[in-house]
Amino acid sequence: MSEIDALEARLAALTDEDLSRGLDLFRAKLGGAEAAYLQTCVRCGLCADACHYHRTDGELASIPAHKLAQVAAVFRAHYTAAGRLAPGLTGARRFDRDMVRAWVDAVFGRCSLCGRCSLNCTTGIHISAVLRAARGTLTEMGLIPPDLLQVVATSLETGNNMGISREDWLETVQWIEEEMQQDVGDPAARIPVDKQGARVLFTVNPREPKFFPLCLQASATVFHAAGEDWTVASEGWDLTNYGLFSASPAHGGAIAANLMASMDRLGCGTLVIGECGHGFAAARWEAAEWLQKRPGFRIVSFLELMEEYFQQGRLHVDPAKITERATLHDPCNTVRHGGIVEPQRAILRRCLADFVEMTPNRAENFCCGGGGGQLSMSRYRQKRLQSGGVKAEQIRRTGARLVVAPCHNCIDQLMELNREYKLGVVIKTVAEVVAEALVRTTAPSREESHVPDAR
Amino acid sequence: MEALRIGVGICGLGAVVALAVQAARASAFGIRPLHAPAAGSATRGVLYAFGPGMSPLAKESTRTHPWAYALGVAYHLGVFAAFGYLLLLLLGVDVAPTAALGVPLLAGALGGLGLFVRRYASAPLRGLSVPDDAIANLLTTGFVALAAARLRSPAAEPALLAAAMLLLCYVPLGKIRHCVFFFLSRRHLGRHFGRRGTFPVRH
Ligand code: SF4
Ligand code: SF4
Repeated sequence: MSEIDALEARLAALTDEDLSRGLDLFRAKLGGAEAAYLQTCVRCGLCADACHYHRTDGELASIPAHKLAQVAAVFRAHYTAAGRLAPGLTGARRFDRDMVRAWVDAVFGRCSLCGRCSLNCTTGIHISAVLRAARGTLTEMGLIPPDLLQVVATSLETGNNMGISREDWLETVQWIEEEMQQDVGDPAARIPVDKQGARVLFTVNPREPKFFPLCLQASATVFHAAGEDWTVASEGWDLTNYGLFSASPAHGGAIAANLMASMDRLGCGTLVIGECGHGFAAARWEAAEWLQKRPGFRIVSFLELMEEYFQQGRLHVDPAKITERATLHDPCNTVRHGGIVEPQRAILRRCLADFVEMTPNRAENFCCGGGGGQLSMSRYRQKRLQSGGVKAEQIRRTGARLVVAPCHNCIDQLMELNREYKLGVVIKTVAEVVAEALVRTTAPSREESHVPDAR
Repeated sequence: MEALRIGVGICGLGAVVALAVQAARASAFGIRPLHAPAAGSATRGVLYAFGPGMSPLAKESTRTHPWAYALGVAYHLGVFAAFGYLLLLLLGVDVAPTAALGVPLLAGALGGLGLFVRRYASAPLRGLSVPDDAIANLLTTGFVALAAARLRSPAAEPALLAAAMLLLCYVPLGKIRHCVFFFLSRRHLGRHFGRRGTFPVRH
């Protein structure tokens, strides 16, 4: 049975008990904030153009308020007196099979959970938080697209979302280390593995060892140049967490526990999340809520750390080394949901001769279309590429030849957009840009580096 | 007339109690304790959400729809003015016709009418709409227009009081309850994005 049919079959087989259980699951996901959000919409429609889906397909069902209305209709019908007494008046609808189908379409098929609508709602509704609650409900009812669930399952089974074995990971680290040694001309340059008590534990998106080893090499080069006391882990090294996309705290918590266990095992002081938007939001913001525990260490984005190195004078770059026009993509989970807005800009202004912003940018930036797990849900591929048209146009308007994107999911989508919309751009991570612009790639001695030994 | 005034008082009290109950029921869904350390300030986020974040320039949605925003502002000013005027009338204070009251009332009525036309002239907005949208608008716009009429002529007072009763009875049933939920939602939104350091938004 194909992935698409498997979801359809589950939808068709829904029983009244399933629906009743689903409603209980939904209720359990609502706090006072969501209960308020679900009763605030005035249907002014001003959020419509905030959404890249609606901008590119013009469909009513793609307007954020319409997606919100599917969830609010159920809330009204089951939890408000007016919705029970006069459902037709306010558009209240019970949680039945048709409604479940509408939810699947709204929250998986037409939403990347980018949160842009939340910042544009005139009344202050955090729309994507409500849509996330609906997603989580569907996931726990078994109504998640199977290919998205498979990524979660692979993480849970193997410790990383691409099923890379320990041996393959360690072998890859070793040859990247050798490449880096040659590149920086320093045979002492290292990618330490499982270094007990290192100041920094660096975590990686599995796409780097699998498909983009140069990105990992670039990050290692930056650490080397900064003279950092760092390590990667032999296990529990994958920073991704598709529990953020399945919206299931059980998934998210179980995957996040891998990183926390690595920190405990190695006794590092700072958990550094490599360039990955959702990985950062999951580890920095959601993991503590999923695990109901405040982490006992600092969790930072590699972007923040690189900017700290610059401010401490530990990295030296020459912007004349990269002269082509470059622009920056703001991943929704790094910027809007993550709050990391300026470090990446400060870094790029140092490293690039011709850096231009997209319009709009920062918290107002558009999703590339690949967020929210869209890249792993094959049934929505066409919609994903279509919705990415907004980002493609943003890039084209900058005239840039280089697009810097501090997120591997975004990079995958941008690479597809590059082909689909014939943009003719090169896409790199921030670390790749920094590594390319470095003027000294040999680690400074402790006397040189003005930085107190952090250990 | 006295009976109508008492009726308005009772309906107003009923609306306030119903809204308070709805807000309490929403809050009873609970506040989850947060464990992730804040990067920014929840308080600053809330101040931003109720301050600069309400400016028409703060959001693309309002920057690109200045007319809808202006109609909305006029409408709400008219509604506040009409309720203020109604309160004075209930307290037996008759205000002489004055531009300070007449202009917002007239602008409010026109704003409401403009939003009604906007809603039903636009296919996407029609698609989003439910009967509540028409009823809420007509009741509110009618109430504001009658307040403007009463300012010119005391003869319009019974109609104004009747319209006020209808409106107040309807408030807890439909979208007008955003008069309370707006504040709850914006506060939650401000806290959330303030903690994360996204609010205040830097452009
Ligand atoms: S902007 Fe907010 S209030 Fe207006 S329709 Fe969209 S969700 Fe509803
Ligand atoms: S979260 Fe993003 S994708 Fe989803 S409805 Fe809002 S703007 Fe559209």
